[in-house]
Amino acid sequence: MPAVGRIKIRMPHTISRGQVVPVDVLVTHPMETGLRKTKDGKVIPAYFINGVDIFYGGDRITHCDWTIAVSANPFMTFYLKADKAAPLRIVYKDNKGGVYQETVQINPR
Amino acid sequence: MSRFSRAFVLLACAGVLTAGAWKYSFAGEEAAPRIKEYTPNISSQEYEKRYNAVYGKSTEKMAEEGNPADFMLDDGKDLFGKAEGSAGKSCASCHGANGEKLKGVAATFPKYDPAINGINTVALQINRCRQEHMGAAPLKYETYDQLALELYVKSLSNGVPIKVSIDGPAKPFYEAGKAYYYKRHGQFNFSCAICHVKYAGHMMRANLLSSNRHHADHWPAYRLDWGAAGSFQKRFRGCNKNVRQEVLPFQCETYRDLELYLTYQANGLPIQVPGFKM
Amino acid sequence: MEQKGKDLALSRRAFLKTGGAACAMFLVAGSLPSLVKPAFGAPKEESITDVLRRQFGGKQVSQSHVDIKAPIIAENGAVVPITIVSDLPMRSDDYVKRINVYAEGNAEPFVAGIDLTPANGKAEFALRIKMRKTANVRVVLETSKGKLYGAARSVKVTIGGCGG
Ligand code: HEC
Ligand code: HEC
Repeated sequence: MPAVGRIKIRMPHTISRGQVVPVDVLVTHPMETGLRKTKDGKVIPAYFINGVDIFYGGDRITHCDWTIAVSANPFMTFYLKADKAAPLRIVYKDNKGGVYQETVQINPR
Repeated sequence: MSRFSRAFVLLACAGVLTAGAWKYSFAGEEAAPRIKEYTPNISSQEYEKRYNAVYGKSTEKMAEEGNPADFMLDDGKDLFGKAEGSAGKSCASCHGANGEKLKGVAATFPKYDPAINGINTVALQINRCRQEHMGAAPLKYETYDQLALELYVKSLSNGVPIKVSIDGPAKPFYEAGKAYYYKRHGQFNFSCAICHVKYAGHMMRANLLSSNRHHADHWPAYRLDWGAAGSFQKRFRGCNKNVRQEVLPFQCETYRDLELYLTYQANGLPIQVPGFKM
Repeated sequence: MEQKGKDLALSRRAFLKTGGAACAMFLVAGSLPSLVKPAFGAPKEESITDVLRRQFGGKQVSQSHVDIKAPIIAENGAVVPITIVSDLPMRSDDYVKRINVYAEGNAEPFVAGIDLTPANGKAEFALRIKMRKTANVRVVLETSKGKLYGAARSVKVTIGGCGG
């Protein structure tokens, strides 16, 4: 089944040192708004990613505050100045305490 | 349902479709297999122009950057290598670790198969292999695993131009598919061909009616309306529902014939799965 | 129709579940707009002006150096791809430190806030957002020097039906 919190990162295969590269990231998550109801009138509780932290080496380089208005299976593109060989770690947190993360090693030439 | 049907009801009321065309009943349509095919109202260049004006490249771009169905594709690859059933085999045992032996194969599907005296689809073949070669239960159509395997097998033909044959014994099945496509049925007396051949390129409310020449190359696809991936046949059912026609079971003979008819229209287009659709 | 007054785009799947009967009704009635209006007694929505005043205290937002890329027509309000692009510098002494994204037609207009650092190298960010109706997408960028830059772009959201 499509589990919650699976992450796919897409970026250029070869990166030269100092290059500013786009990083596309997709994560599976229902992003339930809390505004929808089931057929029998029960409210489907809100369930959504509300925070994203992006670390490059030891530094947190980007942080996102998200709301229910970010689409299901959130997608984002951010940029990274690849000036060192270091892991790039993306951490998602949702309103029910779920934490999902993925790391890729950046090795600029 | 509805945005389509409603729009069309409005259109009809406005007299955009002439009353004549609307009420026209094909005498003997049912009996005679000969079908007078529609010519699209607009040229294919004009169609491309309109399509790009409305959609631009936004879905293509979304598909490329991040298609949620990519996860399903990964799972399909895993399932392909997983042994199941009494024979203790996986698909990979017979078709190669990375499906090498199935490269390009999906581009020739659907095709006539004497063993079933009918049209064989990728989905059907997978279940036949499970039952006949693996001793495993067939996968229920449209379940996650079933779609994932189908998607993976089709992805082995990504970039390969569709090349289905309608010659010889396939011909009557192709004709049956075409007959279904042109038959007017359901509460509104629509045929698939009215929307996807004759009026392709025209707007129906917010929808640009797409041409059936471009339907078969990208399924299974992730659809925003579904919030999930689904098959070509699920899309048939969607349109059936939209225009209040009878919804048929997955992989029934009619849908397989229809799939052959539509895939033949897309001959020459490279397969590109998973698709990404509104 | 208990969906009335809810955000249509957001509640669309629940709406779908009401199925054929509902669709048949609309066919007859032939109009959806009633669904989009807030229902009687629905909580009062905060306008974009209120939100901006609350967040930036009436500070001047220069409408320059920012561009929003978005489709002119979004066929499905549940997924509208947008890209925010700015030519503002990303130097350690002067950079875009936050991008705020709003969908003006949503009950709660604030969609996302993105904190950047010079390590991003470029003040550009893309995401897919939910929009319940035709409205402006608005962004406000805050720089490390405390300046505000903004842009708005209208996106036409066509209301979906019962799917298919
Ligand atoms: C024990 C060997 C075996 C296994 C295991 C097996 N198959 Fe097959 N497969 C065959 C044979 C033999 C054929 C040729 C047609 C037939 O006999 O059904 C075939 C045909 C096919 C075809 C059509 C090939 C063509 O050229 O038309 C596809 C697609 C396919 N299999 C997919 C799968 C998938 C997916 C699985 C796993 C669920 C699987 N097979 C498991 C033996 C196997
Ligand atoms: C009243 C008009 C109408 C009729 C009749 C109709 N459709 Fe559709 N169909 C649409 C609209 C609108 C869409 C969504 C926009 C588009 O892609 O054309 C659509 C989409 C599709 C798609 C997806 C296109 C893609 O990009 O892959 C398929 C496949 C399809 N229809 C098949 C059928 C079949 C099969 C029938 C007959 C059973 C049928 N349609 C009847 C209006 C119609």
